[in-house]
Amino acid sequence: MTTYSLPLSKRKRAVKTRPPRDALFIAAACALGLIVLVAVAAAVIPFAGDPARIVGPRLSPPSAAYPFGTDALGRSVLARLLEGTRTTLVLSTLAVVCTAVISVILGLVAGYAGGWAREVIMRLSDVLYSFPSIVLAILIAAVVGPGQAAVLSSIVLVTVPLMTRMVSAAAMSVAKRDFVTTAKISGVSAPVILFRHLLPNVSGTIAVQGTYALSVGILVEGGLSFLGYGVQPPRSSLGLLIQEGGSYMLQAPWLLFAPAAVLVVAILSINLIGDTMRDRLDPRETRSLV
Amino acid sequence: MTANAPAAPVVSLTGFSAEYRTRLGVTRALDGIDLDVARGELLAIVGESGSGKSTVSQAIGRMLPRVCHVTSGSVHVLGRDIASLAPDAIRALRRESLGFIPQDPIASLNPTMRIRRQLELALRPLGRPTDLESLTELLASVKILEPDRVLRLYPHEVSGGMAQRIAIALTMAREPEILIADEPTASLDAQVRDEILTLIVDLVQRSGASLIWISHDLGAVRRWCDRIVVMHQGRIVEEGPAAQVLDEPRADYTRTLVAAIPGRQDPTTKEAE
Repeated sequence: MTTYSLPLSKRKRAVKTRPPRDALFIAAACALGLIVLVAVAAAVIPFAGDPARIVGPRLSPPSAAYPFGTDALGRSVLARLLEGTRTTLVLSTLAVVCTAVISVILGLVAGYAGGWAREVIMRLSDVLYSFPSIVLAILIAAVVGPGQAAVLSSIVLVTVPLMTRMVSAAAMSVAKRDFVTTAKISGVSAPVILFRHLLPNVSGTIAVQGTYALSVGILVEGGLSFLGYGVQPPRSSLGLLIQEGGSYMLQAPWLLFAPAAVLVVAILSINLIGDTMRDRLDPRETRSLV
Repeated sequence: MTANAPAAPVVSLTGFSAEYRTRLGVTRALDGIDLDVARGELLAIVGESGSGKSTVSQAIGRMLPRVCHVTSGSVHVLGRDIASLAPDAIRALRRESLGFIPQDPIASLNPTMRIRRQLELALRPLGRPTDLESLTELLASVKILEPDRVLRLYPHEVSGGMAQRIAIALTMAREPEILIADEPTASLDAQVRDEILTLIVDLVQRSGASLIWISHDLGAVRRWCDRIVVMHQGRIVEEGPAAQVLDEPRADYTRTLVAAIPGRQDPTTKEAE
């Protein structure tokens, strides 16, 4: 019989006051939503001005005329920041979508087929996973050449191994369940089992890993652009803006502060959202009343 | 019923042996199994857990787990050696001739799909109608009340008994010639258990299919089945007509099993008294 160490009234209060995690999740979702909304809205309504236009004196500090100041060429930092945020988010999201497609196919096949198919896919993942992510990204960028293609391919190759592993493990566990056995013995074809039975049942894992991959993607983009292998001027990205800001850290700290703050808030928010999703979808997560 | 059955068996295992090879070592799962199942026969396989009952059922569908290796013998289903069938052929054989009713009815349904969607997915490849009226009729045929409402539910929203009826409907809609039921009532309460067994036997007898029923419930087996196969440590220790095996067991192991039926005594003890 279930026993509780607190009286009912206190347990009810515990339930009501339990979720500081929910508050964090809501704060993270709002912060990320705001960043995405403002970055996307700036593309539709250019309220911050043209990021490529010289609008004022060089290295002007934040003021009413230039809310985030101006950069070394006299361009609006706010306009460049919004463009950079958009570029980073679009590149990372696109890369994560590619990662998800590749990882889901590889993970489902490895988890369902097992045997040599699983061995080949897992060992390839292990090889990629054994490289530190930024080293692998630099290596890929050196081969592909600096630019957005390098960022995209680097993020994909850095994030695919972990997501493939996770999807494979989840698929392997689902593949042993009775409804899959029933489908197999009913003569259902492998693609139908993979995409109609296994995929919906591993979608939670995919969503959680997708959030982690997104934060890794933003970091990799930042790192590559910072090192000069990523997005190239005159376009901007968060990594590129941080690199430019680093050169004027003492004279014009606002150049560094704004993109760094957006990067930190975006990654923190995505990780918090991912953590909350993982906790909610994990059946082992106990929700004690006391 | 066994006596009237045609000579050609629908399932035939000949000298079939298999073993599980794991990191912990090798375990003999089946040891020289010889078993024929006649068309229309109701056969029960009984024995303690780990005796090899489920491995026999898996071998019939070529569904043995990867760690289970066949060491000798053959399995013929409807006259075809299943080991020699190509993947497409074995899938066609399963789809057209084999039905499987699992132990845990809720787990046998995909938790992410409504019942209607699952029925549609199962029936469409067979060219069977999947409109609302046909699906309602199908559920009504397994005595589900308010079938139109049940079609809209997810598996976690139905009871164990109802889930088993849905699983039976899904299986029997394919009109299999061989139905394998692996302890189909193990997770159900006594009243529902009886209703489900009556339903399975009724459907099997009406369709003329053969039933291979894996069970621990010797009382129910005696009531419903033509023949019993008793398994112990991967071997068949006794087989014969249900009443004969259970009333006059010859093997020591069968006597022990029979003595374990609540309210029954070891037949040898009874004789001695």
